[in-house]
Amino acid sequence: MCGVTIGVSALLLSVYLLIQRAMERQVDLVVETEIESLREDYRSGGRKRLIDVLDKRTDDWGRLGAAYLLIDKQGTALAGNLPAWPTMSNSVGAWREFDITVNEQGRAVNHPVRAAVVALDGNRLLVGTDVSERRRFTQRLRAMTFWGIGLTAALIAITGWWFSRRLAARVRAIAQACDSIISGDLTRRLPMGKSADEFNQLTGTVNGMLDRIEQQTTAVRVTFNSAAHDLRAPLYRMRARLETTLQGAVVDGTASRAVQATLDDLERVQRTLATLLQIAQAEAGGGAMPPERVDLAQMAIELGELYALEAGARGLTLRVAAAGPANVNGHRQLLAQLLTNLLENAIKYVPSGGGVDLQVTANGSKITLSVSDDGPGIPEMSHETMVLPFRRLERDQGAPGSGLGLSLVAAVVRLHHGQLELLSTKPGLRVSCSFAAAA
Amino acid sequence: MQILLIEDDVEAASHVSSGLREAGYTVKHCVDGATGLAAARAARYDLLIVDRMLPQLDGLALVAALRQADVPTPVLVLSALGTIDDRVEGLRAGGDDYLVKPFAFAELLARIEALLRRASGDNRHVGTLRVADLEINTLARRVTRAGRNIDLTTKEFQLLEYLARRVGQIVTRTMLLESVWNLQFDPQTNLIDVHMSRLRQAIDRDFSPPLLHTVRGSGYCIKDPGATA
Repeated sequence: MCGVTIGVSALLLSVYLLIQRAMERQVDLVVETEIESLREDYRSGGRKRLIDVLDKRTDDWGRLGAAYLLIDKQGTALAGNLPAWPTMSNSVGAWREFDITVNEQGRAVNHPVRAAVVALDGNRLLVGTDVSERRRFTQRLRAMTFWGIGLTAALIAITGWWFSRRLAARVRAIAQACDSIISGDLTRRLPMGKSADEFNQLTGTVNGMLDRIEQQTTAVRVTFNSAAHDLRAPLYRMRARLETTLQGAVVDGTASRAVQATLDDLERVQRTLATLLQIAQAEAGGGAMPPERVDLAQMAIELGELYALEAGARGLTLRVAAAGPANVNGHRQLLAQLLTNLLENAIKYVPSGGGVDLQVTANGSKITLSVSDDGPGIPEMSHETMVLPFRRLERDQGAPGSGLGLSLVAAVVRLHHGQLELLSTKPGLRVSCSFAAAA
Repeated sequence: MQILLIEDDVEAASHVSSGLREAGYTVKHCVDGATGLAAARAARYDLLIVDRMLPQLDGLALVAALRQADVPTPVLVLSALGTIDDRVEGLRAGGDDYLVKPFAFAELLARIEALLRRASGDNRHVGTLRVADLEINTLARRVTRAGRNIDLTTKEFQLLEYLARRVGQIVTRTMLLESVWNLQFDPQTNLIDVHMSRLRQAIDRDFSPPLLHTVRGSGYCIKDPGATA
């Protein structure tokens, strides 16, 4: 935009300068031709003839706007229409510029004159021409050039502003659409503009890409749901069969223990499946339920109370520091699941005698929920991989659990556009999740 | 008590049916939604157990159709879909409770019982609940046993109230988590047990006879020893 303004200004300026130069050159050419012709007259007829020619020419003043003056060595005027040798305002080489006062309809008017002086055997001849017309024209041209530059700049500024506003509006609309796609609404498409410009071309391509992604996601979700359903049906039958078997009178102790153990395993499989489904739900945008206002401080207090006894029974101290309200917009059950996962991890891995701190702090527009413990922690190099499904530390391979806890936490944090941070506190681990406070 | 079971998985249905019959219910079984809806309209049942995914007519559509026709029979929706939203959707469609497969049979029994009692409207009482010499003032949130004040935390009080409104009924851990903590998923640890043993200490330790009982493999139950069960 700025470049265009500068370009147009430079163009107009150079046009102006070229015209000005050409006009000056033209004036000089006329004077030079006149001088040449007078010099010819002098050469052929001497001073006498020159004076005659000049006397004849001076009658034409006013029509031609020409000024002449011939003086001898002593400075006496011999011929011409100038009363006296003028005081030069400006002299470059042979060229002189000065003003003469002319009486026009009873008024004294100043006329700028550009003249050249030549020496003819001791006499000096001045030939000039009235340049007021030319000066006026140059002035007008200059004014027009500057107006032109000003108007161009204004016009460019206005169109630029209009374009950038239009552009900003489109970019905003696209950004909004992208935001809602990021938060899981895969049915959303980028808005198409009215004109068939490059933007629309790009929007069309991106929308095509989104169609493809949605198709794939739907396919994955449908597959996942059917798989979950198809797995659950046999699990359900197995469980029913085993329970019926247990209730039967003919089962002896060993068989009963085996059946019970199988039932426990089934329970674990079911849990893993349920957690996977929940991760899938969180990744897919939280499902059909609209987000609601959830007070994380209140939730922390209630769940802290729920877990405090269990923690106490394992020799741990669970401290809750949550000053409410700390409202976020979100999915209550998924947030509760996030919190229980963090608490259960801490309670599971911190040895007896340790402490667990559950904190919820509201800091302006940010709400942070954190669970810190003084347990064995997670080595820093594993922080990133621990949030992936089924990742567990080698030392915990024997402990019960599916390795999905932190994945679910990460998925829920992502769903709520929050930040998840794992921090080694040596000893211990601090997991903190920050969310935007509800307006 | 007449129960209509609408479930397309025949083997699972036969286990449920036999279990329910053993528990003393009369069970009729339909294998698809359309037949189920016709049956539910044709005769009066005390409870419907409806699988969510049914051939011909989806379980939720069936429940909605029943509610449209002003059939008030309580409905327990069974589903292999287990996300929280599915549950809320099921309840919104007019289901009274929602159970995710696979479930422990004890859980199903407890929920059936709760639904049947709720339908007969005997747990909506406001004011003072009495179980033997235990008195629970639900308005003042005060508990006394044999005239002596018992201090309870808010959650302990809620647990006790929930149980006392269902005297003689088995209440499962999941039901307690749902109603007292508003958690619609099962935490991994048996958190409820510690809370119940606290509650038991408060209301039973210094008194006799014990009122709060653990039902092995199912949950908890408050019993009035004087009442005829």
